[in-house]
Amino acid sequence: MKKIFIAIVAVGFITAGFAQDKGSVLIKNGTVLTVTKGTLTDTDVLIKDGKIAQVGKGIAAPQGVRVIDATGLFVMPGIIDAHSHIALDQINEGTNAITPEVYTGDALNPFQLSIYRALAGGCTVSHALHGSANSIGGQSQTIKHRWGTYDANSLKMEGAPRTIKFALGENPTGHGRRDGTQPQSRMGVEFVIRKAFNEAKEYSAKWDAYNKAKLVKGFRGAPPAYSLRLETLADILSGKIILHCHSYRADEIQMLLKVCKDFGVTRVVFQHTNEGFKVAPEIAAAGAMASVFADWWQYKLEVYYSTAYNATILTRNGVVTSINSDSPDLIRHLYHEAGKTQKYGGLTDDEALALITINPAKQLGVENRIGSIENGKDGDIAIFKNHPLSIYGVPQYTLVDGIVRFDREKDAGDQRIMVDPKQTVDATMYETGHAYDFCMSGTEWLFEEVENNKK
Amino acid sequence: MRLRPFIPILLFMLIPLGLLAQDEQELSPVTRTYAITNVNIIQAPGRKIDMGTVIIKDGLIKAVGKGIAIPAEAIVIKADSMYVYAGFIDGMTRAGVTRPKEENRQRPKDPGNPPPDQAGITPYADVRFSINPGDKGLDDLRSVGFTAAQIVPYGNLMPGQAAVILAGGKSADQMVIQGRSSMYSELTGANNVYPATLLGVMATWRDLYRNAVQAKSYDALYASNRSGLERPVSDRNLEAFYPVIDQKMAVIFRSERLLDVNHVLTLKKDLGFSAAIADVKDAWPIIPAIKSAGVKTYLSIDLPEEVKKDDKKKEAAASTPAQQEKEALEKRKMEAIQNYAAQAAAFQKAGVTFGFSTMSAKTKDIPANLRRMIAAGLSEDAALAALTTNPAQLLGLSDRMGTVDNGKMANLVITDKSYFNEKAKVRYVFVDGVMYKMEVKEAKKGDPNAKVELEGSWSTVTESPQGRAEGKLTFKKEGSGYSGKVSGGRLPSPVDLTEVTLDGNALTFKYTMSFGANTVTITGEVTVEGDSFKGTLSFGQNRTTPIEGTKDPKN
Repeated sequence: MKKIFIAIVAVGFITAGFAQDKGSVLIKNGTVLTVTKGTLTDTDVLIKDGKIAQVGKGIAAPQGVRVIDATGLFVMPGIIDAHSHIALDQINEGTNAITPEVYTGDALNPFQLSIYRALAGGCTVSHALHGSANSIGGQSQTIKHRWGTYDANSLKMEGAPRTIKFALGENPTGHGRRDGTQPQSRMGVEFVIRKAFNEAKEYSAKWDAYNKAKLVKGFRGAPPAYSLRLETLADILSGKIILHCHSYRADEIQMLLKVCKDFGVTRVVFQHTNEGFKVAPEIAAAGAMASVFADWWQYKLEVYYSTAYNATILTRNGVVTSINSDSPDLIRHLYHEAGKTQKYGGLTDDEALALITINPAKQLGVENRIGSIENGKDGDIAIFKNHPLSIYGVPQYTLVDGIVRFDREKDAGDQRIMVDPKQTVDATMYETGHAYDFCMSGTEWLFEEVENNKK
Repeated sequence: MRLRPFIPILLFMLIPLGLLAQDEQELSPVTRTYAITNVNIIQAPGRKIDMGTVIIKDGLIKAVGKGIAIPAEAIVIKADSMYVYAGFIDGMTRAGVTRPKEENRQRPKDPGNPPPDQAGITPYADVRFSINPGDKGLDDLRSVGFTAAQIVPYGNLMPGQAAVILAGGKSADQMVIQGRSSMYSELTGANNVYPATLLGVMATWRDLYRNAVQAKSYDALYASNRSGLERPVSDRNLEAFYPVIDQKMAVIFRSERLLDVNHVLTLKKDLGFSAAIADVKDAWPIIPAIKSAGVKTYLSIDLPEEVKKDDKKKEAAASTPAQQEKEALEKRKMEAIQNYAAQAAAFQKAGVTFGFSTMSAKTKDIPANLRRMIAAGLSEDAALAALTTNPAQLLGLSDRMGTVDNGKMANLVITDKSYFNEKAKVRYVFVDGVMYKMEVKEAKKGDPNAKVELEGSWSTVTESPQGRAEGKLTFKKEGSGYSGKVSGGRLPSPVDLTEVTLDGNALTFKYTMSFGANTVTITGEVTVEGDSFKGTLSFGQNRTTPIEGTKDPKN
């Protein structure tokens, strides 16, 4: 991707200071794409204190509640991206093969414009994933795009389950090949994961024994050494953390399924899954899920064998499938990405919309909160002019917890929250660099070394 | 004596030889009693005595008030209409700390598991071992009124323990007011070894802290009855956390950016230690969170440079979209700069007790920065409190410092006008009862109409206890100013002059000499009369030697 000039036309009105706030709003007379309960025409959606309170016809606006006239517009659940790296100051702690103790929730940056741009594409929730530079990367955070907050922690979707990033294939061998440490091959990746899981089992056993012994009156003894790393791995084994695994090839997908089976890990989501179409029945049988690109591949050898029918094949085989962005650009038009599955595979509207709403919600373990328009769910809504799966679909409003965080009419050129007082002002500004947050961010040096060694 | 190894080298250099030699046989002052008379005493913010007297004896403030008898042995400073304040206290700096040499260390075999020191983990280390009493940074701090500072070690993640020191003294030990005043941390990663990023740094903090809590508790169990218990293995890194766990010591974090502060608040919430945030630059939007977390706060005394409005540009109305855009962006930049200047006022308004830190500030900008903060809404009393009483309180030193009161340490700053007046100059600083007289750089009152032919070569003679030294100064016209070189008898090679100014017949110039790792800046101030000049060379505090020069005939 080449650098993009962003022309900034005017100083924007800065929406600030309502972090974690909940709003109330009545959306009148729209075509409501509930995703799970069909499409309802001329229907109102009432959001009270951040939650969907009522979906139906002729709802009267409670006193003081803003009304959005959605006549002729399409109302859908806020789009969810199960694989993204926006809003992160750091993406990879790629120095060690096993770093489950690190946590992207520590590096959230609420001032990144990419959050606002995602909102402008109807996307209300994303999965701020650790990168793929190591076999067991960091714990990740499901975030709500509460643009305008100054509190990094208020981006966190309260109550969302813990998740963690694993990575297979070429990416996680970079540091090993550079430093002469493990892993340097696909075999090595499997080995370091199994080794880590075994250590975690031993760790749990030691602590269980200690905690049991402590119950005996008069017990005196040394506790086992504490390790945040092993404790986190043990939490994966005990099912407290959903495993999200960067993967491309069918063989490595099979490998991880086997490892998870051996260690009793059941909550697994494959990320990218480019060859998922080859092993869709196996993924479905294991109860695993898949998050894929619509049509993005061949950027390296291991993603050569791919198809735009991937999402459809996985869906038709009963795999809960989502389409993700892994990019601050694609995150702005995931509705287009979902629409591609209608061209390649002929998914129905609801099936295609599920790829960017209820299915990623399931993959993040938040399907009871978001992903469809139902009573009691969070007031995360995207309102489109024209159908979102149409090439003419354009987001008009995006709401998070019932608060309008994007309004196309009020969209101004300069949306920055924090301004650098030392910036040099040019007539046009280079993009701030957030377009380049990607899986292997911050690890380019690993590959430079590897390339240099080859020469 | 530290300087001894340099002496042979100095013999070959030009001028300050004699001056340095004085260090070796510095005499005790005749008396340690001073009387500052007829002075406006700002005892503390909002507490003032007009035209009173302050008596200093043996490093302490002995008397403050009106009509106080002046002891016979006192050196009297007739501070007529001057102002005296408690010496300022800097919340965090590295002035006075020796920068460690860059070690070209080998990359560890497994960069994912480096030795703790390579990972930036040496919390047991103590900055007191790195104090350099001769560091120029201390002279600079003193020159704007600081008399004490909390110093922190170099390094990133957990480089060691901070200390509060005096801004001046003969030896490192003599300067220390309080060792282990805080534990220092920066939430930045090591160089391509684990933890290399904020992600790894936060995890390392949690892991180490919890390990320390566990180790401490087991140590206590072991101490209570050792029989039948496995011996706990001593770990310096973990033990360094014990006073932090006991809430006896705060961890001070360099937290310039709002998000840095956010990270500190997160760690504090997770682990429950007492924290201080320092060198804070743009945290005004999260003051309520800072306040409710109860972290000690030191705001940066640094400010982004002011942008002078270009009036000419203003006249041309922005017509094209690009011009409008540029104008809008510039407007937001100006607002941002103003917000930085207004940060201290916002903290004052919110009722947060804060001090200042000079870590990233240019010392000479400090008085102007304070004036900008005051112009942006900070009260003068609050500014003074942030320089004196607040840091004393935050550092637990209120019984010794922060006000001009009987019994406190004689740390004082005396200015010719109110400190916050644009034209104020610091005239005297007392550190622990030792007087430092500041050079007042009033423009030399030479004859403004004198015609001076400076260009050319001048032969110079300096006198010092070591004898005469001869040298050369050459000046060359450069546009409206001059450049020049100094060379001479024993100087190995010519050195460029900097800041040559000629005002009427008052000539000033500077040059820097280096010997080993140390550098000394020498300032010359002379008055030119025809083909000769007379004046002084000075360096450091109050160290001067006379210099005379005569112009060489033109070839």
